[in-house]
Amino acid sequence: MPARPVAPPAGGLGWANLGMDIVSVNRVRRLLTQYGETFFERMLTPGELADCRTADGLDILSLCGRIAAKEAAFKTLRVRGRFLPWTDIVVRRSDGGWPLVELRGPAAGMAQESGISEITVSISHDVDYAVAVAAPIIAPTPYVPSSSSSSS
Amino acid sequence: MADGLQTVKNWILERHPEREDIASDLDLIENRLIDSLSFVEFVFLLEQESGTAIQMETLEVDSIRTLAAIEQHFFKTAVQA
Repeated sequence: MPARPVAPPAGGLGWANLGMDIVSVNRVRRLLTQYGETFFERMLTPGELADCRTADGLDILSLCGRIAAKEAAFKTLRVRGRFLPWTDIVVRRSDGGWPLVELRGPAAGMAQESGISEITVSISHDVDYAVAVAAPIIAPTPYVPSSSSSSS
Repeated sequence: MADGLQTVKNWILERHPEREDIASDLDLIENRLIDSLSFVEFVFLLEQESGTAIQMETLEVDSIRTLAAIEQHFFKTAVQA
């Protein structure tokens, strides 16, 4: 088998790896029916669950959107050999309704290693599916003056 | 094969009816038999069948990459008994 081509790593000036994910409403509905809300406590923080809650209980589309956003955000990090740190990639609803990503713990460490300071996401859903796309914000590289003198 | 491991294999096969069997060395992640969403449910199942609590945050991908690895990491005691 020929060797696979090597993709650029996450981060780096002028390069932003997008992440995208799609989540089936049917799959999430089945999980909610089968295991109840406690199942999602392994994936969402209490604040995120509160964002998804309505007077009738958890809103499935909101839940799917959060899950898709976390996966999309994780994909921008391009980490090998690690599972999505579900509760360390926090997607909250801001004033105005736009989703905000907060990276905590290991997720923050993975981003830092890749030179990613923040991740921005957009979520959309319609009846059967929720999708999310994420883009990393590359941390500005600090200016390091050259120690060698130039003759020009 | 330990009963618990057989249950795990059946669980995967139920979600992938296009497959008739799963080789013990088949990469479950590369072949998309377990994805991020099903991973959480999979951990529930593994805890139930192996009788051990699993910390998702510290779980190594390689420990569930193949049925052989799952047997090694979660059902070794049951196999030896």
